[in-house]
Amino acid sequence: MSLLKTEVAGIYFENPLILASGILDENGYTMKKILQEGAAGVVTKSIGTVERTGYRPPIVAEVTGGLLNAVGLPNPGIDSFGEEIKVALEAGKPVIGSIFGGGVQEFVDLAIKMEGYGANAIELNLSCPHVKGVGSEVGSDPALVTDIVTEIKKRVKIPVFAKLSPNVTDMLEIAIAAEAADALVMINTVRGLAIDVYARKPVLSNTYGGLSGKAIKNIGLRYVYEVKMETGKEIIGVGGIENAEDAIEYIMAGSSAVQLGTVLYKKGRQAFAEISSGITQFMKSEGFGSIKEMVGAALP
Amino acid sequence: MIHSTITGIERVSPTTVSIRFPWEAAVLPGQFIMVWIPGLGEIPISLSHIGDIKGITIKSFGPTSEALTKMKEGDRIFFRGPYGRPFTQVKGKILVVGGGSGMAGLLPLINSDTVGVVSARTKDELLFVDRFLEGNVIKVTDDGSAGIKGIAVDGLKGLDLQKFTKMYICGPELMLRSVYRYIREIDVDAEFSLERLMKCGIGVCDSCSIDGYQLCRDGPTFSKKQISGMHEFGAFKLTESGKRIALPK
Ligand SMILES: Cc1cc2nc3c(=O)[nH]c(=O)nc-3n(C[C@H](O)[C@H](O)[C@H](O)COP(=O)(O)OP(=O)(O)OC[C@H]3O[C@@H](n4cnc5c(N)ncnc54)[C@H](O)[C@@H]3O)c2cc1C
Ligand SMILES: Cc1cc2nc3c(=O)[nH]c(=O)nc-3n(C[C@H](O)[C@H](O)[C@H](O)COP(=O)(O)O)c2cc1C
Ligand code: FES
Repeated sequence: MSLLKTEVAGIYFENPLILASGILDENGYTMKKILQEGAAGVVTKSIGTVERTGYRPPIVAEVTGGLLNAVGLPNPGIDSFGEEIKVALEAGKPVIGSIFGGGVQEFVDLAIKMEGYGANAIELNLSCPHVKGVGSEVGSDPALVTDIVTEIKKRVKIPVFAKLSPNVTDMLEIAIAAEAADALVMINTVRGLAIDVYARKPVLSNTYGGLSGKAIKNIGLRYVYEVKMETGKEIIGVGGIENAEDAIEYIMAGSSAVQLGTVLYKKGRQAFAEISSGITQFMKSEGFGSIKEMVGAALP
Repeated sequence: MIHSTITGIERVSPTTVSIRFPWEAAVLPGQFIMVWIPGLGEIPISLSHIGDIKGITIKSFGPTSEALTKMKEGDRIFFRGPYGRPFTQVKGKILVVGGGSGMAGLLPLINSDTVGVVSARTKDELLFVDRFLEGNVIKVTDDGSAGIKGIAVDGLKGLDLQKFTKMYICGPELMLRSVYRYIREIDVDAEFSLERLMKCGIGVCDSCSIDGYQLCRDGPTFSKKQISGMHEFGAFKLTESGKRIALPK
């Protein structure tokens, strides 16, 4: 196990695999089970100030190379989420609280409450591409991103991760705007659409959705590589990781840890144990003594 | 999304219809599909008929299920699946216990030797009682309009459960809970098919989870032993927003 250990912003992870936000992380018992079954950490579903039911199903479509989703940020509201974090923390591993909001004050209030619940870090969903008024709009405004990250950093003690959206003209500009964050998480889903030709209609009730899975892996890799090279910041890579090699690619591009989402639809919760053992095998056969040695190994 | 054309409709109660459509897929008893009505919604429905001409049996609850009960022969039906872990089938005498539309998912298990406890609010809503041989079915109604007046578990009280190789139970969670509590100490094997909110059907959204298991993937069928270790069973559920609420005691 110790071969796989890694660190992000001073938080210890027993292996580099963390559950991505929005996948199997609404119920504390599910998060706890995933941690017990091999994930080194979990990110909660993105939580806002008030309760939201999210969109009506269909909220997900199975498409070439992955999934298209528009769940609509359902969440019970921050004041009802403490119990789920408490249950997830019983596994004794890091729980990262994801939050979303429309402006600086909302993000700050949410971060303070997450810290109060015992979350080990905050992940800012600056990038959810499919809810009007939040997400992309927040994450594509560099000045606002700077304000949110800087204010939160002043108000909480735990590390703050900024999760970036690929649905912007220049992601590097946003990464630089988020300079005050302890680490960057990239990438969120890529905006897309699926149509059923026999129904002559978009499949998702929200029409547009976010594309995830294998189809976006090479987009995510490019961003991680570019941002690592330009900023040197600590990065958590996410997007289309389905096996050990995919995870190692992200690590060699500059990620200190990675997140898994859509692969759970393909492989189930055992994806964590399977990918961990694949990484161990690779490290042994290729002579790597630690994850750290591999981080950024492909950079010039 | 898969699509097919409806070849038959049968009304099985004042609020419930069976819809038949050809679909060449291997489906086992207990599995379900996500049925989509374009522009309206998508809901999980068990397969009540699993031969070449598949079938679903739907009770009208809200907008999407109501629209399904109004579909006609020749209409297109859209769906994805099959999903979920099927019932474990056994040789020997079985008992099926169905509450309301829960009978739909049990239908493919029924053979000439099967005994059934069929429960519903009222006589007209008892589903598929004609599928059992004379004397092999116990009816239970909330209002006493047919059979025993009471709830599903009251139909079990006159039976020697140990003589069955296995029991299969499907219905609302509170019904499952009362049956589970009744058979907990009895030496009989049982499998429960649970119903919880399902948004994705493929194990990503967490809306259907119970004690870390995804109903849509690890279930919806669970053994008596699995149920016995579940702390959320019959006690808590998450609403559409993910808010935790306690079920009535
Ligand atoms: C695995 C499984 C198999 C099922 N099989 C059958 C079947 O064979 N026949 C049948 O008549 N019904 C079945 N149901 C129940 C059926 O899915 C709900 O009645 C249906 O979703 C109601 O949707 P609606 O839009 O018509 O009504 P709504 O007005 O949306 O809801 C009416 C009721 O159904 C519940 N419900 C709504 N959406 C869902 C959802 N996505 N998942 C679960 N519950 C929901 C609501 O909580 C409410 O109690 C099954 C449910 C599950 C989970
Ligand atoms: C169903 C679903 C829901 C998601 N919800 C969120 C969310 O609430 N917050 C967030 O930051 N990202 C969300 N994401 C994005 C993922 O966390 C991840 O960034 C993306 O899916 C790419 O990784 P993957 O290809 O491994 O899934 C969601 C993704 C999916 C598939
Ligand atoms: S319905 Fe989404 S996880 Fe089961």
